[in-house]
Amino acid sequence: MNMNLYSRGDKFFAICIMVLVGLFTLSTLYPFIYIAAVSFSSGFAVTSGQVTIVPIDITFAAYDRVLSDPMFWNAYKNTFIYTFGGTFVSLLIIIPGAYALSRPQLKGRRFWNFMVAFTMWFNAGMIPFFLNMRDLGLLDSYFGIIIGFACNAFNIILLRNFFEGIPDSFTEAARMDGANDFQVLWKVFIPLSKPAIATITLFCIVARWNGFFWAMVLLQDEDKLPLQVYLRRVIAELTDDEEFVSSTVNALYSFETVTAAIMVCSIVPILMIYPFIQKYFNKGIMLGGVKE
Amino acid sequence: MSGVSLSKMTKRYGIVEVVRGIDLEIKPQEFVVLVGPSGCGKSTTLRMIAGLEEISDGTVKIGDRVINEVAPKDRDVAMVFQNYALYPHLSVFENIAFGLRIRKVDKKVITQSVNDVANTLGLTEYLERKPADLSGGQRQRVAMGRAIVRHPKIFLFDEPLSNLDAKLRTQMRAEIKRLHKRLKVTSIYVTHDQIEAMTLADRIVVMNDGRIEQIGTPMELFNNPVNTFVAGFIGSPPMNQLNAIVNDVDGRLVAKVGNSLITLPKIKALANSSNREVIVGIRPEHVLLQASATSSPIAIELELVETLGSEALLHTQIAKTPFVVKAETRFGDVSHLDKVTTLHIEPDLIKVFDADTGMALATAIQD
Repeated sequence: MNMNLYSRGDKFFAICIMVLVGLFTLSTLYPFIYIAAVSFSSGFAVTSGQVTIVPIDITFAAYDRVLSDPMFWNAYKNTFIYTFGGTFVSLLIIIPGAYALSRPQLKGRRFWNFMVAFTMWFNAGMIPFFLNMRDLGLLDSYFGIIIGFACNAFNIILLRNFFEGIPDSFTEAARMDGANDFQVLWKVFIPLSKPAIATITLFCIVARWNGFFWAMVLLQDEDKLPLQVYLRRVIAELTDDEEFVSSTVNALYSFETVTAAIMVCSIVPILMIYPFIQKYFNKGIMLGGVKE
Repeated sequence: MSGVSLSKMTKRYGIVEVVRGIDLEIKPQEFVVLVGPSGCGKSTTLRMIAGLEEISDGTVKIGDRVINEVAPKDRDVAMVFQNYALYPHLSVFENIAFGLRIRKVDKKVITQSVNDVANTLGLTEYLERKPADLSGGQRQRVAMGRAIVRHPKIFLFDEPLSNLDAKLRTQMRAEIKRLHKRLKVTSIYVTHDQIEAMTLADRIVVMNDGRIEQIGTPMELFNNPVNTFVAGFIGSPPMNQLNAIVNDVDGRLVAKVGNSLITLPKIKALANSSNREVIVGIRPEHVLLQASATSSPIAIELELVETLGSEALLHTQIAKTPFVVKAETRFGDVSHLDKVTTLHIEPDLIKVFDADTGMALATAIQD
């Protein structure tokens, strides 16, 4: 950027923006750095308040404790099942749903769209939902968690809007070429909507990965708990353990470092997914297909 | 090869009638151009033939088969869209092959057909490229390739050249004409550009306000427009139209335009019609700068001369009505045109229209 082309006011404005963005970035990044630093520090260093950015007295003791717990690995496995199974089922419902709602020839289109949007503003509430799940026999099951939260009105509307933006001539050309609705969706709309579908996939994955409350309410069986619920349970257990809490002064790991280690373990996979999805966030995928 | 026949074909959106019961017979192998201003219903007509719009009334036949209720894919027609509608995520090869793949054609046959088409259209070296990496003309060619690869009975073109620049448009126009000569597939082409219509069509259908104004060969439309609308639409620049009053001067019919008298051709319908109001139509290229034995002079006010190279357009006024003349330059020199004050008009080249209905009064009778 050649700053010479900008007036003094513009330069000042640009600098202000950069400073603000910089501060914002730091404020979101710092908790991650701090948690990572704590997880690799000794319990003593943390409780005595020495850790700020870099780990002090580097040790893997907290990780050793976390990773040696078979329940942790089981929770990890469960979270993967809920996340990928749930995301898959969600996309299976959201994509065709959005396509149908985007078609002008859908009978009662306004009504159906309203019905979907309605669920964003009003829903039955916690107790009826729980009772409903109970009556359907979906308590304490993988399946219940996966299909119970598969349909998301916001994502359907987001994708529907994207589909509506695809020029009609694509659909018409495909129909002239002999494609039916499934083929139009599969061979034209989905490839053209990669950025939107990637966004929705990411939303689904993050929501599933972080899903905590309903998993806690609906699941009793310890073997089926996801990572977030397990995390809470460990924190609760450690807090209750008087001996552990009070004996941390010279210990290699402490309540804080173990918690931090579990947090790092639960954040890393979701951070790793983003770069893979990011490549679909390129704009201009429609470029060249139609002349506006 | 099949023809297409439209009978009382109508399209209504609610109470608005966009296409008002048109009848049209298109012969096998014919190249028919639907032309008219925006909103005249020409694209809707094409889309009804394609099956992209439902037909409100009347019938469409391809060959002997009524196709009103037949799905677009089963009509055996192919369409080239104005905005190309190429799938941006597919290569040129896959774009052309799309329809064949949907129809589960054998892979070897697909490769062969696509290569043949690419060869015909000069696209062979671009087969692996994506549409975004092609120029406008190449994209348009891919769009045509996608249509011809299926060997349909009918080609439909919906203003395929209107997104191209002027030079490319001329070039692609010739290419479409060449392609039609070679493939001999019945083609229906929609455009608002009368030059495209004149150059491409075997027959032109002029549409206005959901109706057909006239059907004919380009020269029929040029020489004998049935009404003032067609006269004003076909030809570039279009036919000049002057309001006039018919007078009988010594047994010959003249039209009084302002203070000038123009001798009219002998037209039966004008016999004994002194003082009748008419519209006199004169093509810009039919005006003489020098008097001839039979021509009548008419005084003009010259406003401006536009030089086009070998010819020039004289923008003039006759009785406060704009009047355009196409004249030859002298090897680009227009100095002689700047001084023009009088034009000369041959009676035989004049068209006369009824002032109320705008309909042409029967063409000149030779005596």
